Amino acid sequence: MHLTHELELFPDHKVTQMLFKEVKNAAELRQCAVEGKINGALINPTMLVNPFQVLVAANKAVNSQNNGKMKTRSLYSEIIFNLSPTNNISEAFKRFGCSDGDDSVLVVFIHNEDESQLLADLTARVSGRQVPVEEVSSLTDHAKVKKLYKVTQEEEKSGTLLDAVVCRMAAKDVM
Amino acid sequence: MALEKSMAAIPEFLSKAELLKQGAEARVYRATFLGRPTIVKERFRKQYRHPLLDEKLTHRRTVQEVRSVLRCRRAGISVPVVYFVDYSSHSIFLEEIVGSSTVRDHIASSPPSARCEGLEPLAERVGQVLARMHDEDVIHGDLTTSNMLLRCGPEDGVSELFLIDFGLSYISALPEDKGVDLYVLEKAFLSTHPHTEALFQRLLKSYAAASKKSSAVIKKLEEVRLRGRKRSMVG
Ligand SMILES: Nc1ncnc2c1ncn2[C@@H]1O[C@H](COP(=O)(O)O)[C@@H](O)[C@H]1O
Repeated sequence: MHLTHELELFPDHKVTQMLFKEVKNAAELRQCAVEGKINGALINPTMLVNPFQVLVAANKAVNSQNNGKMKTRSLYSEIIFNLSPTNNISEAFKRFGCSDGDDSVLVVFIHNEDESQLLADLTARVSGRQVPVEEVSSLTDHAKVKKLYKVTQEEEKSGTLLDAVVCRMAAKDVM
Repeated sequence: MALEKSMAAIPEFLSKAELLKQGAEARVYRATFLGRPTIVKERFRKQYRHPLLDEKLTHRRTVQEVRSVLRCRRAGISVPVVYFVDYSSHSIFLEEIVGSSTVRDHIASSPPSARCEGLEPLAERVGQVLARMHDEDVIHGDLTTSNMLLRCGPEDGVSELFLIDFGLSYISALPEDKGVDLYVLEKAFLSTHPHTEALFQRLLKSYAAASKKSSAVIKKLEEVRLRGRKRSMVG
């Protein structure tokens, strides 16, 4: 159900994503992340089109960390920042971070060892139902995504929404 | 130490990738990135340039390429998706247009007898796409039939035309710049594909019909042609 991808550019970094629906304790989970008890990024899945979007954000975060060019204070806040089309950090958290009342959450970890312990720890904390990460596409709020990333109609005719989103994420430093 | 090692991540990755092309300014590789077939374009240092100037120029080209790709996408022009850009190694990671071939190969492989009629729809498509690109004020800077890819559609047989390699591109609204862009293509087109004057005329005709601002551009093209001819007579 989870998805683990080893970053090709950073072979000692793996990215693991888990998706939960019917979450009842989002506020508590957020508190755990603040306190460092959950060492991962908690993301609002309605702003995600596809798990690939998270991989793009995670790869860029690890690269920025390596180059000493992070814009935020941790690898996990950097992932959330990278998802956003703008350079406004608080806006990125508001849109892409998990909020207290959310009933679904996507969790991202970056690790170098086997993920089984991470999975077990997180599953024990979440009161909710884990579903395959690919189901994130069924939670997407298309209207909100299109508006936030300013996707044009012409663009939608020639490419997918995921293409549009990924291009803006990759290009945001120079826009 | 740690920093030096991590900064080498991309060169290290590329050293194991498949080298497609070694150009004067950049190397083009094929690799798998985030699980997807990817083309990586890495601009490298030119030894004869001053290091600071070199860095600045290389950075600017990378930025321009990314900006033009996004601008084209917004206008609905098919260009490869940018997945990732690393400004320290000047590398751009782009979607590989899988199963595509260049327009150059497509024209070269069609029988000479069909070189005009059979290829007319393609020439018209190219003219339309370039018109849309110029209407967005994107100047490609290196238009050739190798920088256009054709990918066959799933079943309907309609192929999709992609523009690639925006490394020399820039933004300009000047008819002169657009005229020169077309002139560069004309020279490349006619020298790569002999006896295709009529075909290229079709391309220009469809450009003129599709672009809102074509008359000034075509006029500039004619001027540039004349200048080019005079220069070659003198030189
Ligand atoms: N995005 C792409 N997808 C597929 N093939 C590509 C792509 N970009 C470049 N190529 C191939 O690599 C060659 C050199 O690339 P370039 O230097 O960008 O013109 C092109 O002529 C294509 O055959």
